[in-house]
Amino acid sequence: MKTHWSGHVITAIQVLLLLVFVLFPFSVMLSVSLKAPDEQFTSPPYLIPKRPTGDNYLHVFGRGSMFVRYFINSFTVALGTTVVVIFVALFSSYGYARLQFPGKKFFFNLLLLSQLFPLAAIIVPLYRIMGQAGLIDTFASLIIGYLAFSVPVGVWLLRGFFVGIPKELEEAAQIDGCSQLQAFWKIVVPLVRPGIGATAAYILFLTWQEFMFALTFITSQDKRTLPVGIFDFVGQYETNWGNLMAASVLICIPVFILFLFVQKQLVGGLTQGAVKG
Amino acid sequence: MKKDWLTGYFFTLPSIILLVILVIYPLFLTLNYSLSDMSLTSSRYLGWTAYNKLFGNKMLPLVFKNSIIWTVLVVFFQLLLGLGSAIVLNKPFWGRSLVRGIMILPWVMPGVVAGMVWRLIYDPQLGLLNHYLKSLGLIDQYLTWLSVPGSAIYAVIFSAIWKGFPFSMLMYLAGLQGVSTELYEAANIDGAGKWKQFRYVTLPSMQPIITITFLLTFIWTFNYFELIYVMTGGGPAESTHIFPTYVYDLAFKRFRFGDASRFAIFDFLFLLIFSLFYVWLSQRQKGAEQ
Repeated sequence: MKTHWSGHVITAIQVLLLLVFVLFPFSVMLSVSLKAPDEQFTSPPYLIPKRPTGDNYLHVFGRGSMFVRYFINSFTVALGTTVVVIFVALFSSYGYARLQFPGKKFFFNLLLLSQLFPLAAIIVPLYRIMGQAGLIDTFASLIIGYLAFSVPVGVWLLRGFFVGIPKELEEAAQIDGCSQLQAFWKIVVPLVRPGIGATAAYILFLTWQEFMFALTFITSQDKRTLPVGIFDFVGQYETNWGNLMAASVLICIPVFILFLFVQKQLVGGLTQGAVKG
Repeated sequence: MKKDWLTGYFFTLPSIILLVILVIYPLFLTLNYSLSDMSLTSSRYLGWTAYNKLFGNKMLPLVFKNSIIWTVLVVFFQLLLGLGSAIVLNKPFWGRSLVRGIMILPWVMPGVVAGMVWRLIYDPQLGLLNHYLKSLGLIDQYLTWLSVPGSAIYAVIFSAIWKGFPFSMLMYLAGLQGVSTELYEAANIDGAGKWKQFRYVTLPSMQPIITITFLLTFIWTFNYFELIYVMTGGGPAESTHIFPTYVYDLAFKRFRFGDASRFAIFDFLFLLIFSLFYVWLSQRQKGAEQ
């Protein structure tokens, strides 16, 4: 079917409008991150810096800045959570996709239902439990807290990938003498590798940006994660917008790169996890 | 058969245990706290009469109203914008996969960062929004978008639509690719125009995906914390609080754990009833079609 040239023009205009809408805040972020203080506070404001400078970025990494520390903290917590979630979810999602056992439907529905729980509804008891366990102000408190929302999501996402794999493959392996566990580990897990990547990326993304638990469970400055740490640049009376936006750009970069690689698998997982009953 | 049970539990037990310890048990604790007047230093058990305090609280109607306005507007416009942009990005054009990648960036951007950037855009002096609106002649003087009770919630809602619509778009794009081309061809032969094809082919085929996306975005938006917390902190004059921000405020700024727990339980029950009703409704529709 050939499209008339006017159709192309209309599409081009639509795409352009969408891009402007989506990219405007990013251009503000980038612009202010490249402006020296005298340019940040001009009136009226303008988008394109006249004398772009990397000073804000240098300052974010510079002496006396905790930013590198926060980066390492965030990375540690996000990676720790993701490893645990993938390990637990790999087994569970296979169980829910393939095996029969009493209470299966109940537990799976409970898992889905846990999406409804607002984190705000469980944060007070979690805070007290962490306190009693002596975990407040440790990375463990964050990792354990993050499991509350990321294990259900992980199981739900991964299950969609398991459902997509033909049952006959494992059955053949079992006839050849593999145990269920061996068939799972040697045949099925390698096949869902793209799904594992996408799920891991999604969990990393959720934990990288988590804010409420990080704000509550961590009390000392040197253990903060990035989303809480960027408040260093927000003063009581004045905000250092240049530094804040440079830090923001740096927080975004890892997750943007991550998504670039797994976008296709993730969409597949989200829609399969959601629609395949 | 018995061995199969064992395998089933072997595979799923770790996630069940985590779920019980980290979600179910804390939820019961919240319910328990909600029956008391717990604060940082004291706790007085009140029983179910504690809920008289919730329903007598004048913040409850405000927080509930805000939560509904916030969720309904954000979800509705995300659906509209998501579906519209998915249709545009489903057409073939040069550089399409790059554009698709760019379009999901707001959703991937951390919520706290998005909140900060939008605060800057809305800033009365430094923000570009005022400047552009004034250049276009739409306003006479710079407005303080986030510090006026009337406009603050709508300003945050606009940012939330921007932040979250790419998720809907992704889901609808995947849905569009699943619509069979034969149906369009048949519709074409029958002489159906663009609108009729959309109404009678596209929409019905995408019904399941729209249903699940609507439910997910509704729940996520209702529970979304960062954006409001970062942009307004619930202010000015408590005018932008929704359930998560108000629960947090009560618990960790004022240490009124009992009150916080009652608001949290109300929040949870509302979402539960909404979701059950919605699932029941969509199941019934499905049944009626078959």
